[in-house]
Amino acid sequence: GIDLPTDSGSKNNVTRNFLEVSLGLCLSRASASVLNLNCSLILLPMCRTLLAYLRGSQKVPSRRTRRLLDKSRTFHITCGVTICIFSGVHVAAHLVNALNFSVNYSEDFVELNAARYRDEDPRKLLFTTVPGLTGVCMVVVLFLMITASTYAIRVSNYDIFWYTHNLFFVFYMLLVLHVSGGLLKYQTNLDTHPPGCINLNRTSSQNISLPDEHFHEPFPEEFSKSEEFTQNTFVKICVEEPRFQANFPQTWLWISGPLCLYCAERLYRYIRSNKPVTIISVISHPSDVMEIRMVKENFKARPGQYIILHCPSVSALENHPFTLTMCPTETKATFGVHLKIVGDWTERFRDLLLPPSSQDSEILPFIQSRNYPKLYIDGPFGSPFEESLNYEVSLCVAGGIGVTPFASILNTLLDDWKPYKLRRLYFIWVCRDIQSFCWFADLLCVLHNKFWQENRPDYVNIQLYLSRTDGIQIIGEKYHILNSRLFIGRPRWKLLFEEIAKCNRGKTVGVFCCGPNSLSKTLHKLSNQNNSYGTRFEYNKESFS
Amino acid sequence: MGQIEWAMWANEQALASGLILITGGIVATAGRFTQWYFGAYSIVAGVFVCLLEYPRGKRKKGSTMERCGQKYMTAVVKLFGPLTRNYYIRAVLHLLLSVPAGFLLATILGTACLAIASGIYLLAAVRGEQWTPIEPKPRERPQVGGTIKQPPSNPPPRPPAEARKKPSEEAAAAEGPSAGPQTNPIPVTDEIV
Repeated sequence: GIDLPTDSGSKNNVTRNFLEVSLGLCLSRASASVLNLNCSLILLPMCRTLLAYLRGSQKVPSRRTRRLLDKSRTFHITCGVTICIFSGVHVAAHLVNALNFSVNYSEDFVELNAARYRDEDPRKLLFTTVPGLTGVCMVVVLFLMITASTYAIRVSNYDIFWYTHNLFFVFYMLLVLHVSGGLLKYQTNLDTHPPGCINLNRTSSQNISLPDEHFHEPFPEEFSKSEEFTQNTFVKICVEEPRFQANFPQTWLWISGPLCLYCAERLYRYIRSNKPVTIISVISHPSDVMEIRMVKENFKARPGQYIILHCPSVSALENHPFTLTMCPTETKATFGVHLKIVGDWTERFRDLLLPPSSQDSEILPFIQSRNYPKLYIDGPFGSPFEESLNYEVSLCVAGGIGVTPFASILNTLLDDWKPYKLRRLYFIWVCRDIQSFCWFADLLCVLHNKFWQENRPDYVNIQLYLSRTDGIQIIGEKYHILNSRLFIGRPRWKLLFEEIAKCNRGKTVGVFCCGPNSLSKTLHKLSNQNNSYGTRFEYNKESFS
Repeated sequence: MGQIEWAMWANEQALASGLILITGGIVATAGRFTQWYFGAYSIVAGVFVCLLEYPRGKRKKGSTMERCGQKYMTAVVKLFGPLTRNYYIRAVLHLLLSVPAGFLLATILGTACLAIASGIYLLAAVRGEQWTPIEPKPRERPQVGGTIKQPPSNPPPRPPAEARKKPSEEAAAAEGPSAGPQTNPIPVTDEIV
């Protein structure tokens, strides 16, 4: 049929005229638009330095906006799933199109055909044209990336996920080539060959329904008469053949911005992490935890942020994230991480730093420092735990080694608590093993004493829970502050929330949890429940893996 | 890199390829394309691959997440013994299954994906991996009185446990009360007033 010319629709009119089934074309164009948007948006949550900068800068004043940054990984995954679904639609639609291009090959508009001759085998179309071949390769790359990104694989074999996910760069290069094939064309001479005009020189095989059936052969000398005639009957005569030109690939406009931004970020991170850190000391803690203290020039970090460690002597390709437990301050440039030894990378790392003979002793003698391997760090990157200093009241719940982000908060409070908005911190630490409390027992005692001296004994409320009920139930002789705050068994969250709500009526309490998923879910549910004291609990979630 | 278990990834790929084969097969048979019987084959092959690959194998180290409801298929797949345990056989099987679907445009993607899965299975087989079924853990019956120790065999006053320990203490404990006559550490006199 003939459509009334609209601005952009008219350019594709001629295509619609001769393809029997336009559904395939519409679906493939529509899904391509969705894919354009998603391929450009998916890169943005991965610009972690940029997000860390936004989190800390004054440009994002509202807490609500900052909390959106917590969801960046979820956003990335959503875009990925959308790309997957709409790629499926796009491929299916194009397979149908390929079939139609070859079956409905039109001799009239040779330029518009994707096929080169009638009944060309659609498989040849797929593999010998630039869009076809790049499309097939992109589907293969997407298949590899998606099958390696399932939750089960990420949890068990993170390496497969990480290495295949780096194929995204191949995907983008193929995408740039895919749209440069020039398959989509628009008509450049609409004024001289408007849609629905009659071509008098050709024995027409087209089915064009005219508003009326009259058809007059114009003679050259009667040209003016026929013009008049056409104006009266609204039938136009084609003055010249239609000319087509390929559309400028819109996809380039969509993806160039985020791709350049991401490449710039990776370059910046590479330059920044090129200088190795100087390891000051390595301390071995009970329950398979190792602490590393180091210094680096111009390294600034906020409490709650994490860094990525890269040690070429352990593994040339692997990087691992660890939360900072101590941040550099104005007076002290040392910062540190606590690592739990699970898995082969941390085991090998520990064997390099702490030779097996001295693993039982607490602190390594200074003379061994010359043998430390080179360690590179990337970061720091932001996390939701930074926000705990910006609430007036915060509830921080840690499970086991999940105490690390809160340790940096406590270290910062030890240094100076006045600049922050925080006025009361409930710190709840649940551990399975009594020895685990020794990781930060000194820090907690010193902090408690400091607040006691400054006459703010209720600033930090410490509650320690030992979830395993058999075994030793005392942390150590000298930690009587902690022993008196030690409970055996799991915390009773509902009562705890009620107590906090009662003591902080009408306030907004920030809830932070770093621990197993079940704990996180329980706290999330309790935070969203109403209470009779008018206290609002805002749950801030960190996602691991 | 040394500890990657490739079989798990190959399993995910094969499952996805099975689904792609089914979808392509449905499109081909419903659209009544030429050579639509390849489409019908593709549906059957896709269903077979999905059923074979649904139960996830057990990881060598650590716990494995089960797919929901996989224990029924685990029982069936376990029946075939070495045929399903060995990944070389799976690699060859997937390669052979993928070839006929390559003749039709609608199912050609399924061929490519299944061929890649077959390649990864070959890699897993070369590295000596095997499919082990995930057995349900036998539920530990709470043993009533398991922590109750044997009652003391001597009446008070009793010396501390270390003094009481003898090399044949287990045999003595199994016997029950001590065989010999009761020897009191402190002489007991019966005071009759």
